[in-house]
Amino acid sequence: MKTQNARRDFIKKMTAASLSASATTIPLASFLSSCSPSISKIASTADTVILLWMAGGMAHTETFDPKAYVPYEKGVESKRILSTFPKIPTAVDGLEFSKGLESIGSVMDKGAIIRSYKSADLGHILHTRHQYHWHTCYEPPQSVQAPHIGAWIAKELGPVNPVIPPFIAMGQRFTVGEAEELKAFHSAGFLGTEYGPFLIPDPSGGLESVRPPQGMSIKRFEARYKLYKELANKSSVMENGSDYQRESLMRSMEQSYRLLNSPEAKVFDLSEEPKEVYDTYNTGRFGLGCLLAKRLAMNGGRFISVSTEYEPFLGWDTHENGHTRLVKMKELIDRPIAQLVKDLDESGHLDRTLIILASEFSRDAIMEGRPGEQVKNQVEQPDIIEDEKFYGMHRHFTDGSSILMWGGGVEKGLVYGKTADERPCSSIENPVVIDQVHQSIYHALGIPPETHYTIEGRPFYTTPDGLGKPLLDLFGKPLKKDVEKA
Amino acid sequence: METFNWIFQFLGRLHPLLVHFPIGLLVVALFFELLTMGGKRQGLREGIHFMVYLGAIFAIIAAFLGWLFYTYDAYSGDLVINHRNTGIATAVCAGITALLLRNTVSGKLLNRRIYQASLVVTVVILTVAGHLGANLTHGEDFLTSVLPGNQESYDDSKGLALLAEIKASDTLSAAQQDRLNLEVRAIFAHNCYQCHSENKQKGELVLENKKGVFKGGKSGPIIVAGKPLESELYRRITLSPNDDEVMPKKGKVLKKNEIDLIKLWIQNGAHWSDQALKVFPEAPLALVKPNLPKVSNQDHPVDKIIDVYFKEQGLAWPKVVDDRTFIRRAYMDIVGLLPAPESITAFVNNTDANKRNVLINELLGDTHNYTQNWLSFWNDLLRNDYSGTGFITGGRKQITDWLYKSLETNKPYDQMVKELVNPTAVSEGFIKGIKWRGVVNASQRTEMQAAQNIGQSLLGVNVKCASCHNSFVSNLTLEQSYGFASVFADSVLELNRCDKPLGKMATVNFLYPELGDVEAATIQERLLKLAEVMVKPENGRLYRTITNRFWKRLMGRGLVEPVDEMDNTPWNADLLDWLAADFIDAGYDLKQLMRRIMTSKAYQLPTAKYKSQEAIKTNYVFEGPLLRRLSAEQFSDAVSQVITPVYAAVAYNPKGEELPEARIWHREVKFDRDVLPEPGKRYFRKTFTLPNKPMLSARALISVDHSYTLYINGKKVSEGEDWRKVDKLDVGDFLIPGKNTIAIEGVNEGNIANPAGILFALKISYENGDIITMNADNSWKSTADQPSKEWVATIFDDSEWAEVRNYGTANWGKLLDFTFEEQESDFARASLVKQHPFMKALGRPSRENVTTSRDEQATLLQALELTNGQFFNSVLEEGAALWLNRYNNDSEAIITELYQKSLGRKPSAEEKNIMLSVLGDNPKKEAVQDIFWSTLILPEFQFIN
Repeated sequence: MKTQNARRDFIKKMTAASLSASATTIPLASFLSSCSPSISKIASTADTVILLWMAGGMAHTETFDPKAYVPYEKGVESKRILSTFPKIPTAVDGLEFSKGLESIGSVMDKGAIIRSYKSADLGHILHTRHQYHWHTCYEPPQSVQAPHIGAWIAKELGPVNPVIPPFIAMGQRFTVGEAEELKAFHSAGFLGTEYGPFLIPDPSGGLESVRPPQGMSIKRFEARYKLYKELANKSSVMENGSDYQRESLMRSMEQSYRLLNSPEAKVFDLSEEPKEVYDTYNTGRFGLGCLLAKRLAMNGGRFISVSTEYEPFLGWDTHENGHTRLVKMKELIDRPIAQLVKDLDESGHLDRTLIILASEFSRDAIMEGRPGEQVKNQVEQPDIIEDEKFYGMHRHFTDGSSILMWGGGVEKGLVYGKTADERPCSSIENPVVIDQVHQSIYHALGIPPETHYTIEGRPFYTTPDGLGKPLLDLFGKPLKKDVEKA
Repeated sequence: METFNWIFQFLGRLHPLLVHFPIGLLVVALFFELLTMGGKRQGLREGIHFMVYLGAIFAIIAAFLGWLFYTYDAYSGDLVINHRNTGIATAVCAGITALLLRNTVSGKLLNRRIYQASLVVTVVILTVAGHLGANLTHGEDFLTSVLPGNQESYDDSKGLALLAEIKASDTLSAAQQDRLNLEVRAIFAHNCYQCHSENKQKGELVLENKKGVFKGGKSGPIIVAGKPLESELYRRITLSPNDDEVMPKKGKVLKKNEIDLIKLWIQNGAHWSDQALKVFPEAPLALVKPNLPKVSNQDHPVDKIIDVYFKEQGLAWPKVVDDRTFIRRAYMDIVGLLPAPESITAFVNNTDANKRNVLINELLGDTHNYTQNWLSFWNDLLRNDYSGTGFITGGRKQITDWLYKSLETNKPYDQMVKELVNPTAVSEGFIKGIKWRGVVNASQRTEMQAAQNIGQSLLGVNVKCASCHNSFVSNLTLEQSYGFASVFADSVLELNRCDKPLGKMATVNFLYPELGDVEAATIQERLLKLAEVMVKPENGRLYRTITNRFWKRLMGRGLVEPVDEMDNTPWNADLLDWLAADFIDAGYDLKQLMRRIMTSKAYQLPTAKYKSQEAIKTNYVFEGPLLRRLSAEQFSDAVSQVITPVYAAVAYNPKGEELPEARIWHREVKFDRDVLPEPGKRYFRKTFTLPNKPMLSARALISVDHSYTLYINGKKVSEGEDWRKVDKLDVGDFLIPGKNTIAIEGVNEGNIANPAGILFALKISYENGDIITMNADNSWKSTADQPSKEWVATIFDDSEWAEVRNYGTANWGKLLDFTFEEQESDFARASLVKQHPFMKALGRPSRENVTTSRDEQATLLQALELTNGQFFNSVLEEGAALWLNRYNNDSEAIITELYQKSLGRKPSAEEKNIMLSVLGDNPKKEAVQDIFWSTLILPEFQFIN
């Protein structure tokens, strides 16, 4: 154990030293000492992760796991409604999606689908609590603040490109309902703000976050920094106190200056894209987020999330008019996601970029929660539908949903797991839980499953108690018994 | 292919068996080879050859099987890779050795030494591979753990002494029996718990408690009282170290004196003491005020103790800091504000020898600012915030008002603790915890949160570990935690280990039962008892903990660190105990505690130099206070003081609410849902009737996010574009008896939907003393469609318009200036402001959990926020305009004033010249903004020196 720590430290120091020799802008991350005794190292199959977050609970039966289609007619029974869209074929033989997702279907030969994700059973449904659980792998509340998966990755791997923050979260504003709950998991938790998300609520304004302040020319920006440096040198009264404290402050200012003055900031500039590309992606903020994610992935982003944005009762959170609203949601995501996959594939980046599409849970027309663990209904749903606004998946279902993955070593064309074709459309084959999803992402990035830090005297693992196991099947490895059970 | 995997897996698993052939053969071959050196024992030669050939063949087979094992049995990690590589290297070398031997035998290779050298290399690599393999099977410390010095060392001199004492006496006293038992249990703890604890019950045996020890394990009882030789436990620990059944484990046995003690214990009837076993060091509860050392050259009690300490450390007293440094330090620490330039000058020029003590007393007397500064410390400590998770479903409560008033009145600390532990409605938020909707982990039920938070915040002990299982870092057990949590529960709690119910009920208990019992029939009675027990002066822990926190806050580092682990050894126990005892003697007076520390010379020493953060963490030697960074709140307030107010609105207004604070805006709906308003113009109207009588005055207050034009009765009254500013207007001339109409054109800026809102109040005073007030509320009407021109007039028909929506206060807070009082507009103290991205970046924690140390590390995200953050830059921009106006575009005045206000000194000639070269004679707003920025991010400004 001792020798391994020493070696790890050595590698760390080497990395820091070589970085400082080669790059002028070193992220502070590489200076911070780590106390994570990573016991083993595993080969990585990805350097970058893009999380496409379907916020609000995306019904699997309406999207990537369609069931029997029952068209709307006045007087139809709610219990007959399994899917409100017809099925369509995809690029993978035998794999069918729901109508409206033709473009994503066309790139499924480059990716995999998990059809058996089970959300945690957290009693009452509070979207943000399930989202917290999905993003941190821990159920709130916790006695210490749990880090977002992006923060773990930023901490363990640092940035790919030193001028691109290693954890970027796009699309979510924090002025909406449940904002405090959203903030609670958009956080590096006990890892420290250094690894927290770089927030870009509106991707079209992404450039502003990495350029000098609005209205300030580069020339003025440079002059301002020069002035500060000169004054700092002249300020002779700070003779006491430890030098390292002042130095760390000045170094952070220098890094920020270099980052903001770096030509690479244009990665964040969507106006550099040709008009037709921009238009293809531009289905709204989510689509532009995909476009920015593409640019970031191609230029050294590490963890990038793009959210359709959670706002209570909006987006995927359909409490009524489920069918008509889903038509719009599909329009929002279908084209840009498919284009993102294609573009990264063509440029060769998909091999080392893992794209994941997921949602906190699914929906159903009549079941709230899951069989055997049903919770209080939060939506009025008549037994007989007389008004089209009741046609759709309006209740929260936690027993089965879909996760899509592309690139980063994921086996192409894989269909993993299965949900029942009749209600309840639960996961009936190879059920997958969040610990496995997280460990699979870490596995692809080469982060060992036992990674942990000691906080307040206790080990805190990437997944609870360090027990999570990756789904090796996703990466073309033979099925393991213990994985199957979980 | 898949179906034959089991064969490969099976073959692979033969690897550990097979590897012993090459190991044995090659090692013996080398040994024999050595025996034949110098031409002796040539009879061995043929045997050696066979051994080398066979060894090589087996080495290759073993490597192959190892490869299968690795592939089909999902091993991973450095160790496996290294073992694999050395294993393959062994096979290759063994093969080469065999070939070399064949060539040597056949005469093709004349020099036998080459083959011998190859054999040596093979055996060396083989040894490495073998060792790594052994590490894989037996654990990495298999070999090294038995080396002297690597064994779990604990002080057994006590055990030896006890052994000698007991051997010498014929019958044991009760006290001796107790000690013997505790010693035996300590042996169990250090040697057996690893496998035989409640957490991990190997062989169904638990040695952690009485029940487990006497129940025994899978194979039955392990102790026959009085008969060691018939006791399974004794048999197992006395077996040969190589016996498969030996305990603790093969290769690791107990020391002789440990075995003797266990034997004696069983012989003497295996008595079980009621005392709890303390495996981990624990600070004594009791607090005895140490006698002050007789030091004549120091007057202050703290300095007397430090004087002795310095002598022990071989350190000399440094000179105390100068007046300028001192006054900034004292201001920041007590009121959290920068001293005004005039105050600094007056202080420096003051010749009173006692002026520093006088200043401290003055500042402590500034109750308003003391409270607003220290509020942040207590909010962090007591997990209190104005926003955060839990509030949405009513699962959380603030204690702000209680806390604010407690600080304002300098409530004695014991009283504060009592009110926190046994709360009324205003202070119950602390033990109520944060409740999320739904099912939570057993270790996070609110009763357990109460136990954890009281433990951490007030007692400096970690209950969190022990709320899932017996603690690995302290003596706390799961039972104790549940016993403590049960104090706060409606009914006695069932123990859960790692979220699994154990079918065992807790016994209500305090963590330190020696202080008193807290058992009672109802929660109310229990809390009352607990409150009394907690604050007893005998509970030195409570007072040491707060004393240590204050020391850290004022000096940069605690006497004990981490400050939440009060069982750790302080760097000066006498100092801690003296201060804590003095705190009790002085009536639990928090301000007095500050005064005690701050009037010492120790507080006034120059900030100490340390090489790295490590030197502050371990082997710390006190040489003076640490350099401290301004907290997020202090930085914001300092900018407010120097430049222009950073915040205008608070989340908590201690003065109470005079006027409604909720804002209205056009109701916007998407999919039948209320949503944030889209950018664009919205039109608002309200018609009302006024009596016909002599009016004294009519005042209106208005603040609109983002901008507005106000009309009364068709006439334009004012415009504004900053929601943080309250426009206070005299509108008497616009009003008429009868029907009046207020019309507001509001604009929401931005590219995407975002908060917008109108805050409006009208107050009309009549000569007869009547007062009419009219505030913007739900009775107002609005539209998003551009209306016809006369929409501002009373005659306009707004019946088609919609009712406005109340957007609350969450996005804006409460504007301090939204009052009819003609007060000097002050800035909002950051401690009262809702968590904000700017402060968050500067390290203000989200108070979801107790936070007792802020991260002082400078981070890139923080630097980015300061460098290009729109919020900070717009404050500076506003300030620049203000200053140009205030100082009449006079560059020199601006520079001097900036230095005086921010750094508390005049600029040097050089500094002044640098700044002048930027500002020039006719300073531009941008240039002023840039010198602001450059000054505010200077370390000299950002640190408390």
